[in-house]
Amino acid sequence: MPVASPVIDRLNLMPTSKARDLETVEGRRMLSALLAAARQEFVADIQRGHGGTTAHARFSNRMDDLIRHIVAAAHSQTPTPVAVAALGGYGRRTLCLQSDIDLLIVFDGRIGRPEERFVKGVLHPLWDLRLTVGHQVRVLRDFDELERDNPEFLLALLDARLLAGDGAVFKPAQERFRGSSVECREQILEALLQLMEQRYLQFNHTIYQLEPDVKDSPGGLRDITASRVFASLVEWPAPPSPLDRDNLDSAEDLLLRIRSVLHLEAGRNLNVLTHDLQEKAAETLRYEGAQPQQRVEALMGDYFRHARLVGRTLERARRLAGPAGRDTTRVALGLNLELTADGVGFVDPQRAATEPASWLHAFEAAMDRGVPVSDQSLDVFQRQAALYKPADYLPTPADRQRVLKFLHPRPGLYARLSQMLDCGLLPRLFPEFQAISFRVIRDFYHKYTVDEHTLLTIRGLERLLSPDQPSRERFSSILSELRAPELLVLALLFHDVGKWKEDNHAEESLRMAQSMLDRLDVSPDGRQDVEFLIGQHLQMSRAAFRRDSDDPAVVRQFSTIVGTEERLKMLCLMTLVDIEAVSTETLTAWREELLWRLYVDTYNQLTLGYGDEMIQREQKAVAALQATRPPDLSEAELARFLEGFPQRYLALFDPAHIYRHARLSRDIHPDEVHLFVEQKDDVWELAVVTLDKPYLFSNISGVLSYFGMDILRGSAMTSPAGLVLDIFQFTDHEGFFRFNPSATPQFETLLQDVVAGRQDVTALLQRKESGLLHRRGPRRVAPIVYFDNEHSQRYTVLEIVAQDALGLLYRISRVISRHGCDVDLVLISTEGNKAIDVFHLTKAAAKLSEPAQMALKEDLERMLEEGYETH
Amino acid sequence: MKLIKAIVRPNKVDDIKDALGKVNISGMTVTEVRGHGRQKGHTAIYRGKEYNVSLLPKMEIEVVVTDDLVDVAIQAIIGAARTGEIGDGRVFVIPVEHGYNIRTGERDVV
Repeated sequence: MPVASPVIDRLNLMPTSKARDLETVEGRRMLSALLAAARQEFVADIQRGHGGTTAHARFSNRMDDLIRHIVAAAHSQTPTPVAVAALGGYGRRTLCLQSDIDLLIVFDGRIGRPEERFVKGVLHPLWDLRLTVGHQVRVLRDFDELERDNPEFLLALLDARLLAGDGAVFKPAQERFRGSSVECREQILEALLQLMEQRYLQFNHTIYQLEPDVKDSPGGLRDITASRVFASLVEWPAPPSPLDRDNLDSAEDLLLRIRSVLHLEAGRNLNVLTHDLQEKAAETLRYEGAQPQQRVEALMGDYFRHARLVGRTLERARRLAGPAGRDTTRVALGLNLELTADGVGFVDPQRAATEPASWLHAFEAAMDRGVPVSDQSLDVFQRQAALYKPADYLPTPADRQRVLKFLHPRPGLYARLSQMLDCGLLPRLFPEFQAISFRVIRDFYHKYTVDEHTLLTIRGLERLLSPDQPSRERFSSILSELRAPELLVLALLFHDVGKWKEDNHAEESLRMAQSMLDRLDVSPDGRQDVEFLIGQHLQMSRAAFRRDSDDPAVVRQFSTIVGTEERLKMLCLMTLVDIEAVSTETLTAWREELLWRLYVDTYNQLTLGYGDEMIQREQKAVAALQATRPPDLSEAELARFLEGFPQRYLALFDPAHIYRHARLSRDIHPDEVHLFVEQKDDVWELAVVTLDKPYLFSNISGVLSYFGMDILRGSAMTSPAGLVLDIFQFTDHEGFFRFNPSATPQFETLLQDVVAGRQDVTALLQRKESGLLHRRGPRRVAPIVYFDNEHSQRYTVLEIVAQDALGLLYRISRVISRHGCDVDLVLISTEGNKAIDVFHLTKAAAKLSEPAQMALKEDLERMLEEGYETH
Repeated sequence: MKLIKAIVRPNKVDDIKDALGKVNISGMTVTEVRGHGRQKGHTAIYRGKEYNVSLLPKMEIEVVVTDDLVDVAIQAIIGAARTGEIGDGRVFVIPVEHGYNIRTGERDVV
């Protein structure tokens, strides 16, 4: 409620003649008293927590009175008709305690000395009062054309309000800058969008700032104004809904109440709700809580909810003001869904409200079409979400798989997840997320709430799909190589849920993720990856920034933690986007470089340097394997099988697979092959155990090529005792294994014959290979053949990067064998159309000499060049 | 007064801070920098492709001390930053004419 002010009432009644001479002591005192009284009245409102819309309007009115006195006193200086108007926030009557006074002075005629004296007569008293004045002086003719190069002024004019002077001057000016021409509207839209973009960039395009600027931040006062401007520009039948109007009014009142406290406490035009001022604001605005921190959380929760509404309203208003807003067509999408100018929504919202399993469909359809989910649908979710349990949204295994598919990184994922969070669906799907809703962690670095930081990591990943900086392209290429990037997104969603607790959040996040992994039926391999990423998500930044990553021991230790290249890639990307999502300044080029160097060194350690690190009988992992060993495997049998294989083997396979491989090694004799074939999702996996002999690896990969299998990944290991374990993952495009019940025996028979030398795989492949060579088409990947004699003490490491093709591995290994080299270890990977194969070689039980390397390199390069089209 | 400027390995900053703290030197400015000394960077290999890492990430530590503490500070920094390997960094000592405390306006108070 306003407070009656006798001082102001008396001053308002002061005769104009007396107020006219403001140069006198009495005149100056009168103005000071007017301002002091207006401020006193406003301060009383602020201190009672009522410094909102009404108080701001009243303060603006008091300022109007003061300026009218000043204009009246100065008016005699000029014979030219003149108008003085309030601009911007003052024009909208949202002048705060320490706000600038933005004025427009318009003359209907040229500006000479008398007019200059008038301007001084207006400005000097205001400056004497120590007010900060932003003034614009124009003649009426200036408004014949829009000032396109001055977007701030263009927008400030929209709120121009006559304070004093000649209405006949102001009115035509106002008509010109508020012109309803298409050109005028487009200019205003352009100016608004330009300013918004600049402003949003400053705040990393997010509402959820830990120390928000209540005026400039996304969701702040400027966005309220922008929403109203957009709405005012809409001619077609899509005015702002009453809901929008209420949202904006209520948000504006809260933001103004907060701002008034900031101005009062800081004694200057400060609009940043800093951590220190949050406590004061929470107390002044009467937020409840026994402790200051609880009151702050209540205030910030309220702030973010309102800012979110502003953001949503602005987004809607902006969309409707654009060309899409004119589109009234509705496209049926099936499943009770339709596409409108507002985005993807429900044809029958009432039905949708009772079918929570259908809600994810709306987000999927929106993702597929690159549009938002409509406000109408979000309102349905917001109202109904609390009625359902997580299982209601994902009742079937197929629904649960859809969630994982939905999380595949692609443009729009951050925006849709933000919508899910805003409408309350995300914390219903993943109740663990509720613990970090609006969670504030106060430290020197973090700038956003924990939930928003989490979503920003996913935005970072999304942006890597089309990187805007050359230095990010290297990380982008890692992302494109991931086999299941949706698992990384799932891990990112959960990596900080444990931050509701103060201590060891990685451990707590991992604990909380367990129930989610159960609910989603994530595959055992996928589950292990997600658990690894959440539990170890701080390890890479620790190794890169806090330890000497130039030290090979640090790299070796870190490579032991990650175990495989796939996990290294995921952890590297996770670290990158996690740092980037802390604030806009955290991920410096310096940090990026350190991270990349650790990635490269660890990758090299995992692929080039793993050959020397053998499994030790007494190591912990072996003891654990022995402890859970099935009864049919003896301790000695398992130990014998593992002996001489590299440590990497233990990181690649789970115990069940290791036991199976050990069984395959049972009673193996020269020229015999024991194998096992199984399907894993879309790929097949072949495990072969045999005893080493020349051309063995080439023969096995040749048989796979003969059956038309496209080898994607794999590894081959040879123990010093000559036991060979080869694992291949491949796609079976022709359905040989899928549709043929006798496929495995057929395959096994041929493999036995080839390994035993009863069949010549080269002869078998001759016709097929020739066909393949002709089908290769243009070359897109320049081949690289690289020898490394440094990383391993025992082996020469050969790394080959080449365009993937059927039979490539067979051809490479054949050339290697022809040179008399023993293939002891192999890593096979395929990334898009690129094959990356790493061979650990010896020749006559020693590393390859320089001439031997040169000769092999020459032959390999020649073979890799064959068969491509030349343009 | 002297300005001590040390270019060190990134992971050594905490150790140096502790070492300086033990000799009662607490103020410092730390900056991420990149550069190379005599070793002029090195060549890294990723998937068989060589690329030159000419500018290595380092940290620059700046400390202003009174003349009588210069040697103590340098010993603390070197003791904490040294690994004995190439790339341990450098320490420079630069004379300072005056220093002012912005809040109090005091002059030459470290």
